[in-house]
Amino acid sequence: MRIRDIDKEKLVITTAIDQIVRDGFQGFSMNKLAKACSISVGTLYIYYKDKDDLIQKIGAIIALKFFTGTVKDFSPKMSFEDGLWKQWENRAAFTMKYPKEVAFFEIVKHSPHSEIILESIKEFADFRKIMTEFIDNGHRNKQLVPMTFEAFWSVAYGPLYTLLNLHTEGKSMGGKPFTLTKEIMKEAFSRTIKALKP
Amino acid sequence: METDLNSIYVFKTNITNIDPACEMRKTLDEHQEIEQWSIDHEDVDCVLRVVSNVLKPETIIGMINKFGHECQELN
Repeated sequence: MRIRDIDKEKLVITTAIDQIVRDGFQGFSMNKLAKACSISVGTLYIYYKDKDDLIQKIGAIIALKFFTGTVKDFSPKMSFEDGLWKQWENRAAFTMKYPKEVAFFEIVKHSPHSEIILESIKEFADFRKIMTEFIDNGHRNKQLVPMTFEAFWSVAYGPLYTLLNLHTEGKSMGGKPFTLTKEIMKEAFSRTIKALKP
Repeated sequence: METDLNSIYVFKTNITNIDPACEMRKTLDEHQEIEQWSIDHEDVDCVLRVVSNVLKPETIIGMINKFGHECQELN
């Protein structure tokens, strides 16, 4: 009789994330993973069909965690400025709390797995709806200047993700040590919101 | 619904690749008592994974052997 071992499952997931972030998809194998977790390959295949299945299942767990974290205490009915700031706070909190998961998802994003993952999460449609509604409200209430979605996204989130990348690396230009603080984030946000308001 | 862990069987095989039109694929696909099956060709053990509430591992091994492949249960 096989019983689900939650701790083992968690160990498999964290170890897989570590190995993929370190070695990429090519250097990763089910055998290596089983060995690192001190479980048999057979046990690993009970839970996952193959390497792709494992990558997609872990990707889905992270994506769902990201969507949930991003909309926490956020409503599309918020004023555009308040809502965007909440998005910045939530996205920064997620990146700081789960740097390995974010690095894993960055690898996934550039692979054919990403579409399969997003299609497998039913909450993704809700997330997209919420974010679209937020932008539409911004336009309707004349709090956001109309622009191409990609142009909007790059202005609205580009500065944040640049700062977060520097934070994750722990250094900025010329190797200068860097830690992102709320003050620095606010500084960048105050200029960003000016660029997006009509 | 999540698959019952006790209905999953995992085998080490020497099936390195599988022709889409081959008899073994057809047999596994059409088998009434096999709910799902897959082979990981990327893995050194060419792991075969079968989901069935009815079949015994020995029966599955026998089926695979009949097609001329090695098959050994992984525990």
